Amino acid sequence: MTLGRTASSNAVKPATGKRGVRRAWIAAVTASVVVVLLPVLLRLDGRPHSELEHFFGRFHVLAVHIPIGLLVLVPVLEITARYRPVLREAAGFVLALAFAACAGSAILGILLAHSAGETGVTVTRHLWGGVVLTLSVLACLAVRPLWLSFTAPRAYPLALTIAMVALVWTTHLGGSLTHGDHYLTEFMPAPMKKLAAFGSSGSAPAASFYAMHIDPIFQSNCVLCHGANKREAELRLDSYTGAMSGGKDGAVILAGKPQQSLLLQRVTLPASDKHFMPANGRPPLTSREIDWIRAWIQQGASQSATSLAGVNLPEEAKEPPLQPVGDYSALVAEIRAMQAGQGAKLLSVSNQPSDGLILSTSDTGRNFGDAQLAQFEKFAPYIVEAELGRTAVTDACFDTLAKFTHLRALHLEGTTITGAGLAKLAPLTQLTYLNLSGTQLTSAAAAQLSSIGNLHHVYLFNTPAQPTPAAGSSPSPDGSK
Amino acid sequence: MKQHPLCTDCERESNVLGMPIPAGLKREWAAIETRRQFLGRSGKVLGWAALASLIGDRGPRGNVFAADTKQGLANSQAAPLLAPHFAPKAKRAIYLFMSGGPSQIDLLDYKPNLAAQFNKDMPDSVRGSQQLTGMTAGQAHFPIAPPHWTFRRHGETGTWVSDLLPYTAKMVDDLTIVKSTNTDAINHEPAIMLMNTGNMNAGKPCLGSWLSYGLGSMNDNLPTFIVLQTKVNTKENNQPVSSRLWSSGFLSSQYAGVGLRSGGDPVLFLTDPDGVDREVRRQMLNAVEEINRQTLAEVGDPETNARIAQYEMAYRMQASVPELVDLSQEPQSTWDLYGPDAKVPGTFAYNCLLARRMAERGVRFTQIYKRGWDMHDNVTGMMPLLCGETDRGCYALVTDLKRRGLLDDTLVIWAGEFGRTVYSQGGLTPENYGRDHHPRCFTTWMTGGGVRPGISYGETDDYSYNVVKDPVHVRDFNATILHCLGIDHNKLAYKFQGLDQKLTGPVPASVVQGLLA
Repeated sequence: MTLGRTASSNAVKPATGKRGVRRAWIAAVTASVVVVLLPVLLRLDGRPHSELEHFFGRFHVLAVHIPIGLLVLVPVLEITARYRPVLREAAGFVLALAFAACAGSAILGILLAHSAGETGVTVTRHLWGGVVLTLSVLACLAVRPLWLSFTAPRAYPLALTIAMVALVWTTHLGGSLTHGDHYLTEFMPAPMKKLAAFGSSGSAPAASFYAMHIDPIFQSNCVLCHGANKREAELRLDSYTGAMSGGKDGAVILAGKPQQSLLLQRVTLPASDKHFMPANGRPPLTSREIDWIRAWIQQGASQSATSLAGVNLPEEAKEPPLQPVGDYSALVAEIRAMQAGQGAKLLSVSNQPSDGLILSTSDTGRNFGDAQLAQFEKFAPYIVEAELGRTAVTDACFDTLAKFTHLRALHLEGTTITGAGLAKLAPLTQLTYLNLSGTQLTSAAAAQLSSIGNLHHVYLFNTPAQPTPAAGSSPSPDGSK
Repeated sequence: MKQHPLCTDCERESNVLGMPIPAGLKREWAAIETRRQFLGRSGKVLGWAALASLIGDRGPRGNVFAADTKQGLANSQAAPLLAPHFAPKAKRAIYLFMSGGPSQIDLLDYKPNLAAQFNKDMPDSVRGSQQLTGMTAGQAHFPIAPPHWTFRRHGETGTWVSDLLPYTAKMVDDLTIVKSTNTDAINHEPAIMLMNTGNMNAGKPCLGSWLSYGLGSMNDNLPTFIVLQTKVNTKENNQPVSSRLWSSGFLSSQYAGVGLRSGGDPVLFLTDPDGVDREVRRQMLNAVEEINRQTLAEVGDPETNARIAQYEMAYRMQASVPELVDLSQEPQSTWDLYGPDAKVPGTFAYNCLLARRMAERGVRFTQIYKRGWDMHDNVTGMMPLLCGETDRGCYALVTDLKRRGLLDDTLVIWAGEFGRTVYSQGGLTPENYGRDHHPRCFTTWMTGGGVRPGISYGETDDYSYNVVKDPVHVRDFNATILHCLGIDHNKLAYKFQGLDQKLTGPVPASVVQGLLA
C-alpha cells in the first residue's frame, strides 16, 4: 500500500504543470461556490420559472448518472490500487472527473427544481444533499495529496466515506422523487419487507380492511403532517405500527374503544375547535370515512381483518372490457350519404373506427319503426349504441337488436314496448346500458333483465315496472339498478 | 360586364363575336376577353386557395362549408367522418351559467374560521399586490364578512353546503365541486367572455360553437347549440348578457348559439301566416335556396351556405320547436320535481325542464343564463332570492337526467364568471354586507358523463381568497369540458389570422385529471 501511494504521487506531479494545477483548482473552487450560492440565489418558491432554464434543468435527470458511476469507481480504484499500483493515478483522475460531473449535475438539478417550481421536504433535502456531496468530493480532492504524502493519513478516507454516504442518501432521495417513495420496496418479498421495516412500519395484508380503506384515508388526509416528512406531535399515521404506537399524547387508537381513541375524537370535534383534525382548515373527513374508522377501531383495529361487520362497501361495478368493432371503412360512403340526408343516421363514436357507430334516430321521431331498424342490420356488427328513444319500435325490435353483437348501450325510452322478448338480448354480452324509462315495461318483463349478464345501468323510471321508491324519500333518482 | 344572377332587368352582355365587324378585330377581342377571363378567374382561384388554407383540415370538421354543397360532399368522401377525437363519456352538455359571479363563500366554499373574525381586517398578506376593482380599491378597510348562513354536511360524502342551497345539498354526492377555479379578469365583461370563449376580447367562438363545429349535430331538426335566458328579476343587479357570448366568432355563423325567447313564443313567427300552408312555404324556401346557390357559385362566400342551412333549420324548427316546448305530456312527477315555477315560461326551472327535453332530443349543447348574482351590497337580501330561483331547478335537472338515464352521457356544468371577496364592500353590519368581484378563486361544479362524482377538488386558503391546492384555471376548466365530450383541446383548432385558434387559447392548458371519472 505504502509503495503504491508514493509511486503514484510521483507519477502525478510531472504529468501536470503547476499553472495547470492552479487553474484547475481555481475552477473547482469557483464551481463549488456556484453550487453553494445557487440555491440561495434561486430560492425555491414553488412557482415555475424560465422555460430555457427548465430545458437545461431537465438534463439533470440524465447527467446525474455520470457522477454516480464515477464516484462509485473511486473507492474501488483506491482499494484495488493496493494490488495494482498503476490504478492509483487513475483514481485521482476519476475523482477529478467525478467532481466536475458532480458540480455540473448539481447546478442542473438546482435549475430544474427552481424552474419547475418544485418544493417539498424531499426536494430540499435532495438539493442540499447534492451540495454536500459536491463539497465533500471537493474535500476529497483537496486532502488526497496530503493522504498520498502521508501528512494526513486519515483525512482522505474520511472525506471519501462522507462523500459515499452523501451519495447514497442523495441518490436515494432523487430516486424517490422520480419513482415515488415505495419504488424499491413495492415488490419486496414479504419476509424481507418485515425485516426491512425495522419494526416501524409493518405492512398489512394487501386485501385487509385497514390496507384497502383505513390506510388510504390516513394517506390522503393525515400523513402530510403525520408522516415521514413531517411528524407533528411525534405521531406517524403512514403505517399501521406508527398509527398504533401513537404520539406525544400517547396512543391515538385504542382497539375496541372508539370513543376513547384520541384520533377519532379529534376528527369528530366541531370544525371550529382548535384541536380539530385535519388542522389548518384542511377538509374534514367525510362522514363515511369517520364511520369506517369508528367501525374499524370498534372491531379491534386489526391490521389483517378483511371485512367488518356492519360496513357495506360499495361494490365496484365491473364493466366488461370493450371489444373493438371491425373496420367499416367500406361502408363510409353510405354512412356519409345517410348523414347528409334527413332521417336515421349513423354517427361515429370517435375518429377511431374501432370505437364503432351510434345509430341515431332523434330526427325521425315516430317515423322510425321496426322495418327501418331492420335496414340497419348490415351495419349491426359496428353499432355500439342504438338510440331508439321516442321512436315507433315495438317489442319486435328485440329480434333485430339481438344481431347487434357489439351493442353496449340501448335507448328505448319513451317507446311503446312492453318488454316481451327482452330475454332475446341475453347474447349481447357487451350490453351495459339499457334505458327503458317511460315505456310500458311490465314487471314480468323486467324480471327478464337479470338474464342479460353485464347490465349495470338500467333505467325503469316512469314504467309500470318501476320499483316504488322508499317511503318518505322526496323525488329522488330511482330505477337505476 | 357579367350579369349578376339576381339581376333580371339589366342589359344583356353584348356578343362581340356575333357583330358584323372585321375578323381581325374579333380575334383581337377574343384574345383580350381570354386574358381578362383568365385574370378574373385566377383572382377567384387565388381567393379559394387562400380560403382553403385558412380553413385548413386540421379541425375534425375538415372542410367547413363543403358539407352542404353536393360538390363538397363528393370532395370530402376521402375525409374522415365528423367525430370526436376519442370515445367520449358525454355526448352533450348543459351549462348553467350564473352570470354576475356567485359568492363561493356563502354557498359551497366553507370557511369555519371566518365567523370568529367578523369585521376584522383581512391580513394584507392575503391580498398581496392584487389590484382591486374601482369599487373597493379606495376602501380604507377590508373587513371580513363571514357568511350569513349556516353550513351543514350533506350526503355520504359529508360535503359542506350552505343552508341557502337545500336542494343542491341533496345531490352533493353526484357533484364534482371545483373550489379552485380561477380566472384572469376582475370585471364582468372580460371575465364572462373569458369563461365562454377563452378570450377576454370579443370575436372568438364560444364553447358551444366549438362543440357544434367539432362534433356536429345529433338532431337536424333542432339547433345544435341553444341558449336559454332566464327572465330578468328587476330586484336583482343584472349585468348584461349579450349574443357575443354565444357567437361563433370566426367560425361559420351556423355554429352560433340559437337563443330561444324567455317569454311568449320561444321563436318568433314560428307559425306560418294565414293563407301560407306548409307546401307554399317549402316552395318559397326552395326558390330562395336556388337563388342563394347562384350567389354562392358567383361570390363564393361560405356564409351563404350558413344562410341556406339556417333557412332550412328554421323551416324544420317550425315543426320541432312547438313539440319541444309542449309540456302538456309531462307526467306529474316532473312537476313534483321541478316545482310550480317550471310551469312559467322564462323561469330558471322552466329552462331547466326545457334543457332536459332538449337533451332527450339530441341538442348537443344547451346554455342557460341566469343573471343577477352581482351582489355588491345587500347580500343577505339577494342571496335567498337568487338561490330560491335557481337551487331547485339545478337539483331537478340533475335528478331528472339521472332517473331518465341521461346523466350517463350528459355533462352538466354550473359556473359563473368569477367569485366574490371575503371582505365586505361598503358597510358591514351583523345583518348585511356586500361582496366585490373576486377572480382568484371561485367555486363551480359539474356532474354527469366523464366527471368523478362526489368529490371536492382544489382548496382555497382560510379566507377563500387564494388557491392553495390544485388550481383550475378557466382554460383548464374548458379543456376538461372538451375532454369529457371526446375532444382534445389542442387538436380542435381553426386557422384564422395566421394562428391555430383554440378555445383554450395560446397559453398551454391541461385537462384536469383529478376531475375525471
